[in-house]
Amino acid sequence: MARIQLNNIQKRWGEVYGVRDVNIDIADEEFLVLLGPSGCGKTTTMRMIAGLEHPSEGEVIMDGEIMNDVDARDRDVAMVFQGYALYPNMSIYENIRFPLRMRNVPKEEQDARIRRAADMVEMGEYLDRKPGALSGGQRQRAALARAVVRSPQVFLMDEPLSNLDAKLRQAMRIQIKQLQRQLKITSVYVTHDQIEAMTLADRIVVMDRGSVQQIGTPDEIYSDPANTFVAGFIGAPPMNIIDGKIENGTFISNGVKVPGVEITHTGPCKLGIRPEDCSVSTKNSRAHLDGEVYGVEPTGDITYLTVKLGELDFEVKANRTYRAELGSSVNVAFNTDHLYFFSADNGERLR
Amino acid sequence: MASVRKSKGESLLIRYLILGSWAVFCLTPVLWFLTIGLRPRVEIITPTPIYWPTFSLEAWTMLWRDWPMARYLMNSVAAIFGSVVIDLILAIPAAYSLARYEYKGRDDIGFYILSTRMMAPAIVAIPIFFLFRNLGLLDSVWALMLIYAAINLSIVTWIIRSYMIDIPKELEDAARTDGAGDLRILWEIIVPAILPGIITAAVIAMIFAINEFLFTLLIASTPNAYTMSVALANFTGGSDGVIYNAIALVSWLAFLPVFIVVLLIQNHLSRGLTMGAVKG
Repeated sequence: MARIQLNNIQKRWGEVYGVRDVNIDIADEEFLVLLGPSGCGKTTTMRMIAGLEHPSEGEVIMDGEIMNDVDARDRDVAMVFQGYALYPNMSIYENIRFPLRMRNVPKEEQDARIRRAADMVEMGEYLDRKPGALSGGQRQRAALARAVVRSPQVFLMDEPLSNLDAKLRQAMRIQIKQLQRQLKITSVYVTHDQIEAMTLADRIVVMDRGSVQQIGTPDEIYSDPANTFVAGFIGAPPMNIIDGKIENGTFISNGVKVPGVEITHTGPCKLGIRPEDCSVSTKNSRAHLDGEVYGVEPTGDITYLTVKLGELDFEVKANRTYRAELGSSVNVAFNTDHLYFFSADNGERLR
Repeated sequence: MASVRKSKGESLLIRYLILGSWAVFCLTPVLWFLTIGLRPRVEIITPTPIYWPTFSLEAWTMLWRDWPMARYLMNSVAAIFGSVVIDLILAIPAAYSLARYEYKGRDDIGFYILSTRMMAPAIVAIPIFFLFRNLGLLDSVWALMLIYAAINLSIVTWIIRSYMIDIPKELEDAARTDGAGDLRILWEIIVPAILPGIITAAVIAMIFAINEFLFTLLIASTPNAYTMSVALANFTGGSDGVIYNAIALVSWLAFLPVFIVVLLIQNHLSRGLTMGAVKG
């Protein structure tokens, strides 16, 4: 199928950088997710792979061939869009047939391929419908069928699930992953939803303000974040980041004291700790944090506790039976195996 | 339950009453013209109003007997439809370029195209006359076709452009990654998607064309190229004086072609006038 390399890709509009110095090597059959907030350049990066956008600098390489000057329609790339982008005047059958027609697939072959693609996404019985007569989930499945029908080298998806409701999104997530495993097509998926990224990806590329922040497997991104941006973007609620300093091997901040720090750094820094690595402590002596209960949100399987720490709202995932009076004082203990320290200047991880 | 249904029925009745009166209000001039056309000439110029005029085909028979009315009608229809076809062939690609391609001065060109419509037509009347005389196109329906097309091209381009701008760009990106080139995208994706808008533009162009008088009068000098709008002028002077019932009937006949077209395509038209083509 296809290996995709992005070498020092830049995209500028005048003085404005959309994407800068992006280097990604996407292996054949890999499922890569570009993750980041809106405006981080992830969609622009994908559009450069598709050929819908031309890089200002750098190279897009597919299977060793430089593709910069190859038009989108001559790259063997299929794309699924956030707004489905089904052709409104054509039936679903005609929609799925369109890419085959454009690539002069023999007429005899077309019908079988269309039906196979539609069956793959369980849309076989809706082939006669116009897109307007379908629900959002059905439209997105039809768009998937249109993308897979011609067995492309590369499969690109731009926030395909963000117009769907939560339940449908989970079902579609599983379906997309299944589809990719079956077809073994190199896939790039753009999302701002970290759950989608974590569940779908072989590797995640976290982007912010046009630059790659970290590339890694979901586990690496979660348990070994490269900087405060990645740490704060992954996880729900995200990692708590506390400004403070290290003195004599102890991290100190307003209301927080963590002795026995294993890094050699001294002076100002930031401490990161995930809400799931915190627990409410009854014994004062074992606690690392003293604060005031600001919010208690029981959700059934877990209770979200928000501790007010000066200016900072500190999130804790507490036991599901945990309850507390608002305004009462509370002690929180950290799992010291999962502490992260970041530079106070640039937010890079201190190791 | 019953009362709910009843009140719903009543509100429906009121709705029909309001819409009905509006329709009557709008149709009154049309119907009034018809009654003028179908009464004897003496009953039009009496100083006292006549509420129940005598029905008479006097003007109707005179029109068809003494004048080449069918020729006029044919000329009108040919010139109008021809001009709309020319407009669409030129305006659709132009509008696509203005809506989607990025090049220097694009918006200026767009505005320049629109500005041709802002000029008083009389300013170019004499040059146009000489132009067509030199081309040997005076007194021909082809010339009218070209002139109507030129007059309406700017507005047709702009209407179509505004519909094209509303099409989600994703649609074109999808077609491009599916392997379609620009022309394919235009004819297979864009045009069908904004068909109601294109029809709206065409109808507006038709209405402008059928009402065109100045250039038609300039170009047409015999029934070869006379259209309905110029034919009307035949009845306003001369030895017979103003023949009101003939004028009324000719106006009515001039109104018919566009009316029939609009009736045939009204579904598309109302969609085109009210909606921004395609969403989601």
